[in-house]
Amino acid sequence: MSKYIATRAIRGATGLVGEAERMLSQAIADKGPETPVQFPNTAYYLPTILGLTGREVSTLGDLVPLMERARSLLHPVPASQLWKPYLGETLDAGVGTLLAAETIEAVRFVNGEQPERWPGFEMGGGTDYPHLKDGHLNGPIDDIQLRSWGIQLVDGRMPGFAAIVGCAKSNEVAVELVRQLQQRNILIFLSGNVNGRSIIHQLQEEGVEMGYDTYIVPFGTDTISAIYALGFATRSALTFGGMKGGMPREIFLYNKFRVFAFVLALGEVDDLKYAAAAGAISYGFPVIADTVIPEIRPSGVTQYEHVISMPFDEIQAENDLERAKKMVQKAIEVRGVKIRVTEVPIPVPYGSAFEGEVVRKNDMRVEFGGKHTRAFEYLYMADSDQVEDGKVSIVGPTFADLPEQGAMDMGIVIKVAGRKMQTDFEPVLERQVHYFINGASGIQHIGQRDIAWIRISKAAADRGFNLEHFGKILIARFHADFGAIVDKVEVTIYTDPDKLKFWLEKARTAYDFRNRRLADLTDEAVTEFYSCTLCQSFAPNHVCVVTPQRLGLCGAYNWLDCKASFQINPTGPNQPINKGTTIDPVKGYWSGPIEFTRQASHGFVQDVSLYSIMENPMTACGCFECIVMLIPEANGVMVVSREDPSMTPAGMTFSTLAGMAGGGLQTPGVMGVGKYYLTSPKFISADGGFKRVVWMSSILKQTMADEFVQVLEREEAPGFLDQVADETICTDVDGLLTHMTEVGHPALEMDPMF
Amino acid sequence: MPVEIPKEKWTGKVRLVTLGATAAEGGTRTRRVTVGGGTTLPFLFFEGDMPHKPVIGIEIRDRKPDDWSPLLGLAWGEAMNDPGDWAKAAEQAGADAIVLAFNLADADGKAPTAAHAKATVRKVLQATGLPVIVNGPGQADLDNELLVAAAEEGAGERLVLGLCEDRNYRTIVAAALGHGHLVQARTAMDVNLAKQLNILITDMQLPLDRVLMDPTTGALGYGIEYGYSVMERLRIAALQGDSMTQCPMIVTPGEEAWKAKESKVGEGVPKAWGDWQERAINWELVTASSLVESGADIVVLRHPESVKRVHAMIDAMMAG
Repeated sequence: MSKYIATRAIRGATGLVGEAERMLSQAIADKGPETPVQFPNTAYYLPTILGLTGREVSTLGDLVPLMERARSLLHPVPASQLWKPYLGETLDAGVGTLLAAETIEAVRFVNGEQPERWPGFEMGGGTDYPHLKDGHLNGPIDDIQLRSWGIQLVDGRMPGFAAIVGCAKSNEVAVELVRQLQQRNILIFLSGNVNGRSIIHQLQEEGVEMGYDTYIVPFGTDTISAIYALGFATRSALTFGGMKGGMPREIFLYNKFRVFAFVLALGEVDDLKYAAAAGAISYGFPVIADTVIPEIRPSGVTQYEHVISMPFDEIQAENDLERAKKMVQKAIEVRGVKIRVTEVPIPVPYGSAFEGEVVRKNDMRVEFGGKHTRAFEYLYMADSDQVEDGKVSIVGPTFADLPEQGAMDMGIVIKVAGRKMQTDFEPVLERQVHYFINGASGIQHIGQRDIAWIRISKAAADRGFNLEHFGKILIARFHADFGAIVDKVEVTIYTDPDKLKFWLEKARTAYDFRNRRLADLTDEAVTEFYSCTLCQSFAPNHVCVVTPQRLGLCGAYNWLDCKASFQINPTGPNQPINKGTTIDPVKGYWSGPIEFTRQASHGFVQDVSLYSIMENPMTACGCFECIVMLIPEANGVMVVSREDPSMTPAGMTFSTLAGMAGGGLQTPGVMGVGKYYLTSPKFISADGGFKRVVWMSSILKQTMADEFVQVLEREEAPGFLDQVADETICTDVDGLLTHMTEVGHPALEMDPMF
Repeated sequence: MPVEIPKEKWTGKVRLVTLGATAAEGGTRTRRVTVGGGTTLPFLFFEGDMPHKPVIGIEIRDRKPDDWSPLLGLAWGEAMNDPGDWAKAAEQAGADAIVLAFNLADADGKAPTAAHAKATVRKVLQATGLPVIVNGPGQADLDNELLVAAAEEGAGERLVLGLCEDRNYRTIVAAALGHGHLVQARTAMDVNLAKQLNILITDMQLPLDRVLMDPTTGALGYGIEYGYSVMERLRIAALQGDSMTQCPMIVTPGEEAWKAKESKVGEGVPKAWGDWQERAINWELVTASSLVESGADIVVLRHPESVKRVHAMIDAMMAG
């Protein structure tokens, strides 16, 4: 906590409380203690006072005890030789300031000095004061408007509000700040001045319409009128948070977590502004100043930093307009405001209906990757200040000069930043590139990483689709689908040969790193597994336990996917399961998964082992890629692929077997699994592992050949796959046993499976 | 031989939810309706209590719908031309609550406006003293616009706002919070989705005693067994103590049954199907009464005769 800020805030608060006391005694002396006081357009009395103290002030006399309360919150200014944490004292001073400020405005209403008179000022919508026909600022926001905006704040259409206090560097900057906020649908409250000049003057001079209609509310030209912003925030909590007056803690927390507001302090920050800022911090609203002031960076009362200094002229940008833009961007980051992007801004239709679309050679304008060229995609995480959200850059030539059906190299590099982003999520997000790009009509995307293959159809190119739109798609979709973990996205498309080569190398290093990371990611190395109950809609009692070494049986969700999914949707189907105590590391019994499965299967499954097919095997819904089933005569298991229609040694085809393996039933000897689980060192490891496989659909042998090479190395059984039968060798038990004996399958020598 | 009836020992209880506010609570309704409170599956009085019987809402529209069966036109007659008259007729026909649903378009094919929603809600509130449930036409954006307006107009009446779904729950819940209403939380026949929506609604600080779950259903012959099973599982979970499933359930058998071919088509069907009107009413009746058996606390119906018969069925069951 900055002692400097503490000193200034306490000094400011002390001054304001004194001022309020003087004004109140004068008003009582002039008009009597029974004189009614109110903000005329709200049913919440003096809202901030009501919220923070529970007092329903209706006369001048009612304000007297409040002034005592405000004074009791004023601590001595820190002595020059004393160093200690001052946050408590500063926040108290802030609350004292709010009580005093609202008292002053209430007395001004009694004196007919509020709302502020301004002859000739026209507002587009606002509270009407018949006695101020010739023009006035808005003063407090009325209850009807509060409800209307409140609904939008609560449902997220309006991300939050910005309380701007002071005066911008120039009129041009003032307008740009407001435009930037408006573009993001952020409500704007104006108050304060610097040497008599307010941002309200600046906007008026530039012809910017203010009022409810334009979401810009001019409260008043002094700092005190900023209290109306906090009155609005307090009433939001009372109206939408179900809180009552006198619940300051609850009201502060409600605002911290639900009302994404921040203060922009423009121009010199005087004592009173420090004091008011201290009041805003209690609500969880951070302060961003455009001048040099001490910062309070550690988070606590606010979600992230409390006070940020961004000296306007030192913001690195081309010109003042760019600086204003960056300042708003920073404010949004500091408050953690999430902006929703609803549409994908490209010249062709977009939607999941176009995902499966194929662009044939004859219809193609250009392709990247495939036989003759190289395309890659690489997503990485960077620090927030190194990512310019929404920016798409093209480095190198476009395809404009290429002949029809031409081909060229391309690299798509995506840089993301987010407070909740983790490097582990990089591959999870990168894999989405395929789905996101495929959603555009007339675009085909195949593969991933450095084997991506993308085609743009002639029709799409004719409608104006170009390289930039890959970036637009990715930015829009990452914000829309992964907004919970991604705050900023920037995309660079490389076609320049040298740059492309450079980034391809970087990408390959990252791919390699990720591969090794995945290999290191063992069940022992983590403390949490994840559940998946996505399929309970049709298999009500089935629960998948997803571990680093056992992916979901559908093949679509691995442990990292589940981890990211939980971040994105904390109430969704992927919940963390703490492993709890280890009961049997060989069979894979942990207390956590057992308890979770019991509860989530509604008591249907009592025990679950993660590494055995013979004892309490994991259940399956019906989405499994393969069925693993015991062949008792062979002392091993067969693995049947979903894509294999042939007869199996169990005397049943895949579709018949599926009935036994699915539906959330626990059947020892039968299990539905994802095909990559076959390559895991934890594949039925309690029952002997991969060497138990005596029969496997040939399609698996073919499509998984590369992966199996590594498994065989690990198992030190180089020729093993040739010993495993398939449907071309036999489809009955006798044939299987004959084959096994002929090739000397190791399962024959292994311990009995049961 | 004496037979001992096995009894299940449930620990949970369905939450009590009250629709409508009388003058004493700051509204203008002459009647409130409370549902929920059950400590066992429907009508198993030997095992637990069912303090509030299932009730019937009658669906009316903001204007005479173009696509309703002529049989319904016959039943309601002129009243269908005015939502106020229709609400009165529905009250007379035995409704416990009025369900005012907006059509997707007005007579000229234009989307209804917020002003229209306000005027219609006002009219219905003036015409009847029953609690009112307001449903949008079922398109998220339009629902938001109309329901926010309806919420404003009916402030203090403890209306039920629906459909509050995954894609638009935030706006509907915010409107309910701002104006003191309830929500009808609809999910697509899935226990976990229903739970999840309730969690999300709770997270926005709307208390669960202002939430009705609408798990969606299908008509007899059109998926009712799926709907039945989901409702039964939700109710069992509630009785087992799962707080997020303990909301009373509202379902719309009227809408579903009148979509079925058996009730829609009067000509060119096998003779064995029998009298058209009797068949259509039976379709609605059987659909609704099955759902009452699976735990529905509010069933929304369309035909006055089915209302009479479902009432009779509920009363007979409540008599034990």
